[in-house]
Amino acid sequence: MRLGRDGIAGLILLGSSLALLGASFDLPSLPLVPVGPGFYPRIVLSVLAAASVVLVLQDIARAHAAAPAAPAGAARRVRVLVAGVFAVVGAYVFLMPLLGFRVATVLFVGGLQAALEWPRSTRQWTALAVVAVATSAVTYLVFERYLLVLLPRGRWTGF
Amino acid sequence: MFDLLVQALGTIVQWKYLLPLFLGTLAGIVGGALPGVTITMTIIVVLPFTFGLDPLQGLAAMTGVYVGGSAGGLVTACLLGIPGTPSAIATTFDGFPMARNGAPGRAVWLGVWSSFFGGLLGGLFLIVVTGPLAAIALEFGPWEYFSLFVLAMAMVAGLAEDSLIKGLISTAIGLLITVIGSDPITAVPRFTFGSELIAGGFPFLPVLIGIFAFAQILTDVEKLGAPKPAGAGGIAGATLSISHPKVIGEILSRPVLLLWSTLVGILIGVLPAIGGSAANMLAYDQARKFSRRPREFGTGIPEGIIASESSNNANVGGSLVTIMAFGIPGDAVTAVMLGAMTIHGIQSGPLFVSQHAALAYGIYASYILAHLLMVLILAVGALFMIRIASLRLSMLAPIVLVLCVIGAYALNNTMQSVYVLLLFGVVGYALVKAGFPLAPLILGLILGDQIELNLVRAIMTDADPWMFVTRPISGGLLACAVLSVGLALWQHRRHRRTMTAAAAEVDF
Repeated sequence: MRLGRDGIAGLILLGSSLALLGASFDLPSLPLVPVGPGFYPRIVLSVLAAASVVLVLQDIARAHAAAPAAPAGAARRVRVLVAGVFAVVGAYVFLMPLLGFRVATVLFVGGLQAALEWPRSTRQWTALAVVAVATSAVTYLVFERYLLVLLPRGRWTGF
Repeated sequence: MFDLLVQALGTIVQWKYLLPLFLGTLAGIVGGALPGVTITMTIIVVLPFTFGLDPLQGLAAMTGVYVGGSAGGLVTACLLGIPGTPSAIATTFDGFPMARNGAPGRAVWLGVWSSFFGGLLGGLFLIVVTGPLAAIALEFGPWEYFSLFVLAMAMVAGLAEDSLIKGLISTAIGLLITVIGSDPITAVPRFTFGSELIAGGFPFLPVLIGIFAFAQILTDVEKLGAPKPAGAGGIAGATLSISHPKVIGEILSRPVLLLWSTLVGILIGVLPAIGGSAANMLAYDQARKFSRRPREFGTGIPEGIIASESSNNANVGGSLVTIMAFGIPGDAVTAVMLGAMTIHGIQSGPLFVSQHAALAYGIYASYILAHLLMVLILAVGALFMIRIASLRLSMLAPIVLVLCVIGAYALNNTMQSVYVLLLFGVVGYALVKAGFPLAPLILGLILGDQIELNLVRAIMTDADPWMFVTRPISGGLLACAVLSVGLALWQHRRHRRTMTAAAAEVDF
């Protein structure tokens, strides 16, 4: 028996919903309220668990034909690109409180542009830098000066 | 009613409101023209700019985005053969061939004026129907609300393209997200596992932005470097000058087509969480079925453009009806609007029109004026949209993500919302990759709290669970929900049988 994508997703969801369903029985009940805080979550989690079982069974019942082989190089490139985007965004979010919005945004916009499409000429590098600095400056001006949103200052930079 | 509307129009034409409405409409048109940037994405980007505005200014800007976005996609659909938004896909079928046949101006302006007329008819429906529907909704008790929400979710789950069960799971995940945090009745923390980050539950907008924006940007990133579709070369040296009375005459000489497509758009808009992408395809399909020359569809005939564009703008009116009368979003765009209203302390629902009449009529007025602004903006800058559409994703994606981060951060000026955004970005992308539809999740996320509140209220009023079935409206709504799921199951089975038969034919 070989599980496909749906089967694996169904098993993950089933495990999570059963774990939370178990945790819902530990929630305290209050005497004045006819239904406790676990009542509604238990309904939702039961539906989720049941639907996950159906998804797994549907997947098992389905004959898994060999997946059409995607060009290995292209698939790897896409995976690397997506992982790269997540890494750059993750770094941006975690560095923002340390470097401050302005510095972190310049680095993020520049870094992500380069990660998505590596500049090949001086002109492209200049465009990358201009977009990075302009995005940081314009959003800072609009949000801090005109819309009164106090954007994060950096603990390391004080800026 | 019309006194209030005239008064609201007088308010919206003041610079204080007209400027955000104009900028929103412009942003909507630009976002709509950019292939890969949907109206939902545009409204998410515009959202943080509205936090510092008063509620009517913010809602005027968002209404502008919605109207502009529904029309913006037609320019690239007609001139580049690439629909700027999913709601302009059907426009490409006849718009691009017409433009290639030497009539780019006629193609674009048939689309613009059809959007205008369809949108205004949708607006008429919005103004006339919202009040009476809200009055009906006022008669609802917790049983009816619970059943109405269940119907909405059943319909959306049933619309999941691949599998009903995936739609159902997606809905349940949306509901589950709302369960995390404090219980709304007793304030007991649920499934927080001692974490401060989720002690108050997940804030709605960062979750929504994370799920939608990340899933979409990363899906676009995957396509980076992919070859452009054949035939999508664009119209070289296009000029859009035409005789406007002639084009308007072409549209108005097909009143049945215009009205029927508008009606299709409105009805799809009223149904929860479906949106303009379904409306334009369905209206196009209907127009072809009822046409005397169905074989000519796809060759560049005006009927195809009129059907698609009138329906997708009428769809906006229909979606606004649902949000204003029942507090249920008609699609993801109105879900963001609903979130923005909550931020401004406004509760959408049946009392909205009576308690916030100035705001409600302000939205009607913004909706009408946005159509005029849309025509003006496209008259001046339609060709400029083609240049904008050539912006590279590598440049656009970081800017959109910065605005998403600001949108989440500005909610309460803390990084916690940004962490939630990142977390749900990963969740949204994983769900998309696993083939789960996002629309049911969003609806579950929006309605989760209300479903729980109404369920518990109903049980606290009367512990008899049969009340949900024996009260006529509630029972009727639940019956419709069961019927909707049954119909979806039947359609999925039929679709699968057709596919199997087709595969068998190929095999032999």
